[in-house]
This record gives sequence, C-alpha cells and structure tokens, in this order.
Amino acid sequence: MTFDVGSILLQLFSGLSRGMMLFLLSSGLSLIFGVMNILNFAHATLWLFGGYLTYSFMQAFVKTLGNQALAILPAIVLATGVMFLLGVVLERFIVRRMYPRELPEQLLLTFALILIFGDLIKLIWGVENRRIFLPIEPMEIMGSFINPYFFIIIGSGAGVALGLWWFLHRTRYGKIVRAAVFSRDMVSALGIRIPFIYAGVYGLGIAIAAFSAGVFLPIMPIGLGVDMDLIIQCFAVVVIGGFGSILGTFVASLIVGIVYSFSILIWPDGALAIIFLILVGVLIWRPWGLFGTEMRF
Amino acid sequence: MITGQSMKAGGCATRLLERLGFSEVVTLGLGIVLVLLPLLPGEYVVVVGAEIIILGLFAMSFNLLYGYMGEISFGHAAFYGLGAYTTALLMRYFQSDGGEVGYFQFIFAVLMAVPVTALGSLIVGYFCIRLTGIYFAMLSLAFGELLFYIVFSWYSFTKGDDGIQGLLPPPRFQNITYYYYFSLAVVAVAMAVLWRITNSPFGYTLRMLRENKNRAAFLGINVRTCMLVNFVIAGAFAGLAGALWGPFQRSVSPVLLGSMNSGTAVFMTLIGGARYFCGPILGSIIYTALNGYITLYTVYWPLTIGLIILLVVLFLPGGVLSVVDKWLRTARTRRLSGQDISLRGDHPSGGRA
Repeated sequence: MTFDVGSILLQLFSGLSRGMMLFLLSSGLSLIFGVMNILNFAHATLWLFGGYLTYSFMQAFVKTLGNQALAILPAIVLATGVMFLLGVVLERFIVRRMYPRELPEQLLLTFALILIFGDLIKLIWGVENRRIFLPIEPMEIMGSFINPYFFIIIGSGAGVALGLWWFLHRTRYGKIVRAAVFSRDMVSALGIRIPFIYAGVYGLGIAIAAFSAGVFLPIMPIGLGVDMDLIIQCFAVVVIGGFGSILGTFVASLIVGIVYSFSILIWPDGALAIIFLILVGVLIWRPWGLFGTEMRF
Repeated sequence: MITGQSMKAGGCATRLLERLGFSEVVTLGLGIVLVLLPLLPGEYVVVVGAEIIILGLFAMSFNLLYGYMGEISFGHAAFYGLGAYTTALLMRYFQSDGGEVGYFQFIFAVLMAVPVTALGSLIVGYFCIRLTGIYFAMLSLAFGELLFYIVFSWYSFTKGDDGIQGLLPPPRFQNITYYYYFSLAVVAVAMAVLWRITNSPFGYTLRMLRENKNRAAFLGINVRTCMLVNFVIAGAFAGLAGALWGPFQRSVSPVLLGSMNSGTAVFMTLIGGARYFCGPILGSIIYTALNGYITLYTVYWPLTIGLIILLVVLFLPGGVLSVVDKWLRTARTRRLSGQDISLRGDHPSGGRA
C-alpha cells in the first residue's frame, strides 16, 4: 500500500476508466428511465450478457483473424449490434406491456429478467470467469506501470458520451427522444410513432451497456454475480447524479469510479461498502441527486 | 337466500363462504391441508411441508410491506437471514460444551431472533421509510446486499461463506414430523397475530398508505411512524421465520440474506396473490412444490422461476387467489341472479382481504 505518485496515478486512471464504464452503463439506465419511466433492474445483467457475447465473438474472430489485438474491435461492434436488437425485441414483446402497470409489477418484471438472463449466461457459458488478454505492454509513467488500455477505455467512453450528447442534442431523432421524455402525448400527436421510439431507446440503452462491457473486458474479468455488484454501483450513480440527467450521470460515475478505485487502495474489502454508504447517504439527504429535479416525498 | 339450488351440496359451501368470507375460508382450507400433510406417505413430504410453512411465514411478513402497505422491498431476506444467524449463533453458544441443546435453550434461541431482527429492521427501516416507490426498492436492495456482504465478510463472527454448521434441535425435534408440527404451531400463532394486525385500525391505515399517502397525512396520520412500525413488524416476523429455518436445515449460510432469497418472498406473494391474507402461504405451497419438482430435472432453477414470474406478472398479476376469487364471484353471482346481491366484504382493493 504505497502512496507515491505512481500508484496514485495508477488508481486515478483505473478509477477514471471504471468511471467511464459506469457512465456508459448508467447512461443507458438513465435514458430508459427518463423516456419510459421504467427502472431497468436487469440493466447490469444485460451488460454482463453483452460482455460474455463480446468474449465469444472475440474467440471466434481470433480463430479466423489470428491477431488478438485486431479481433476485439469487430467483436465489440458485433456484440453491440446484437444487443441492440435484443433490446428492441425485449422492449417490443415484454417491457412494452408494463407501461400501464404499477411500479411494483414493473420492478418484478425486470427482476425476473435478472434471473432469466443470469441463468442464461450460466447455461450458455458456464460458471467460469472470462477475460480477454490483450498483448499490450504496460507503459511506465512516474514510476508506476500503467496499462495504456486505460486510455483507450477513457477515450472510447468519452467518445461515446460525446456521441450520445450529439445524438440527443443535434440530430432530429435525438430531439424527438428528448421531446418524448418531456411529453409523450404531444410527440405522438405530431404523428411520430412512439412505440418505435421506445423500442429504439431501450435498444440503445442496452447497446451502450454492452459496448461498455466489451471495452472493459481486457481490464476486468467477468463472472456470475458481477451484475449484482454493478447494479448497486449503477444505482449509486443515477441517484447521485439524478435520474434523467446525462451530465449528472457523467459526473456521478466519475466520482463513484474514482472513489471505488481509491477505496481499493485503502480498504480493499470495503470498496463496495463505501459506495453503498454514499448511496444511502444521498438517498436520505438528497434523493434527487446533484442534477435531478427536486422531488418531495 | 334459500332457493332450491342451495339445497345441493354446493350450497353448503356457498353459505359457508358467505358467512365467513373468502379469506377466512381459504385460510381454513389451507390450515386443514397443512395439518393433515404428514399423513401423506413418505418423509420427504414432511420436509417439503416444513419448508412451505417457514417460507410461508417469511412471505407473509413480506406481504405486510407489499400487499398492505404498497412498497416493494428487495432486501427483506436480510431480516430473515439475521434471524437465522441469531438463532444459529445462540445455539452454537449453547452447544459449545458439546452435545445438544436443551428445550428451553432452543426456544430461547428461536425467540431471541425476534427482538434482534426487530432492532435491525428498526435501523434499516429508519432510512428506508423516508422514501417510496423506486427509491424504496433501490434502498432496500442496497441494504439487503450490504447486510449480506457484512455477514459474508465478517469471518471471525459469522464464519462467512462457510456458514454455521451442525445446528441440532433438541432430541425430540430432530424427528422431522415433530419439527413440522412445532413450526406449524409457531407459524399458526404468528399468523393469528398477523390476522389481528391486518384487521385492526392499524391494518386499515396501512391500506390507506398504500392507496394515497398524501391523503393519509392530511387526515392526521403520521405516515412515517406507521411505515416504520410496519417495517419493524414485518422484519420481526421474517426473523422468526429465519429462526425456524436454521435448526431445520441444520446449518445457515450468507445466501439466506441475499437478493435471490428476497426475491423468493416476492415471488411467492406474487404467485399466491398479494391482496389476499393467505396469498403468500398459497404462493409458498406452489413455489416450493415447483422448486422441489423442477430441481429434480434441471439445475437452471432461476431461469425457470424467472420465466414463470414473467408469465405471472404479464398475465396473472393478481395471483392465483385473484383468479379463484373472481371465479367464485361469478359462480355466486350466477347462483343468486335475480336477487339483490350485496356481497359481504372481500373486495381485493378495499375490504377484508
């Protein structure tokens, strides 16, 4: 447990990349909640599913292409695409029926999805952890070896974040999505097909999550049960940042990511507990988070 | 009301139904079934029966929060597990000089789970009841996972992932049939208490909280206090159920506090019917039977139950009892057609259920 600049830098980058991954994961959750008012408990489980899928595609591409480093890119792209379609199908056939229902039933449904997809993972891939090894040399910075892949994660995370922002604020479709958050009825009164929008948003949310899983795979092994750890962190992020606010999600995920990273340095076993305590604290004193709209209970 | 039709055999049951009410009849029916269960051949039936009863109490305690108060808690198993561990640790302590636990010590160990769990749920509830809806669900899940995590990590006290093994009830209760009736007695008393609670002014206040908290506050009800009291009661009963589970299984493990177990209570309540007093018990019977049967064929139990829950939520959100209730209602209406029908109570959203 050294406190020199090198190890702090290492934890900082680790935390930043974790924050990016969390941001991508949570922005999907926030988006789905903002547009459709459904809290997708199964989000982290679908993240995990996407991760496993990326792993499998990676294996397949390595066999055909032979080069490890090159194979990961098409694997991620393909997995993201597949998960987008899966999200659309899920929304169309299952989630859609829950809109007129009450909250407990919606939560129950998404909880059931956790069980289903969690076990599907076990069924398809078995119980072993999976990870990807990329032949990348660690760089030396200030006396500590940092995996340059961190930069790739941070870069791609920021890229997707910017892309999402650009999509929501600069394209016609994105503006329709934002309008649907604001007033679903007016949007459909304008002749725009709301069901397609909802399906698309759900698919997008899942796809972004799957992308983050795939990108993060070289750093962190995935296994059964990781989804439950992650969903708590995800809740922490959307609660701290405020539901429906992408900026809030961004800030909050960086906070959670870095806090988690440094907690590992200080108290390895309790890193999740610290995140949890922050979550509890925010839920008690400011449930609407940093950037959310104030609500009264 | 006495028409030619009521002279048929069905008429007796109908009059019983009308005299007592739907929930009472279901309770009576289930009670008879459970009392007579050990008469079925084989020891395994009794083992499954004990599971049904104990988990049924656990689900009933959950339903206090969900069916009556309208909040869904995904961390309720934390109290169940807390009760189980309390009893386990006490029994371990009593057993420490080798050999077996005396009867008084055993009863004491079981009963001590109640105040300990009540204290735990007081602490957790203090934070949870400040929120509703999604936030309540998230916070309860988070607390559940935190408590699981604590029990899992605190090896020196709880033996972590190894769990606590070798819990033997006193000699006579080691016979599964005796333990079954012991549990049945305990649960029956607990259910009587629950019946009194849910059919009291407090119980009706809970229903009002479920429907409209703002309105309740305007009527002068201290919403937070009521919710907290209910949370503590629910936690205490969950702890009692957990206390019975440990000696039954002869061991406890941190899984008892986890979210999968919390989900079990939720699923049982959902399958049986959340708006009926006995819904969770019926749900426990169905769920445990499904579990016992399906796990013989496949290890993918979460997948199966997840799919079943999916179907139930989509197509049968009121649970089995809502279907039965509706069917009986239609049958009664047909039988009494032509007369002015005023059915007593038993309306799911309001009355006695």
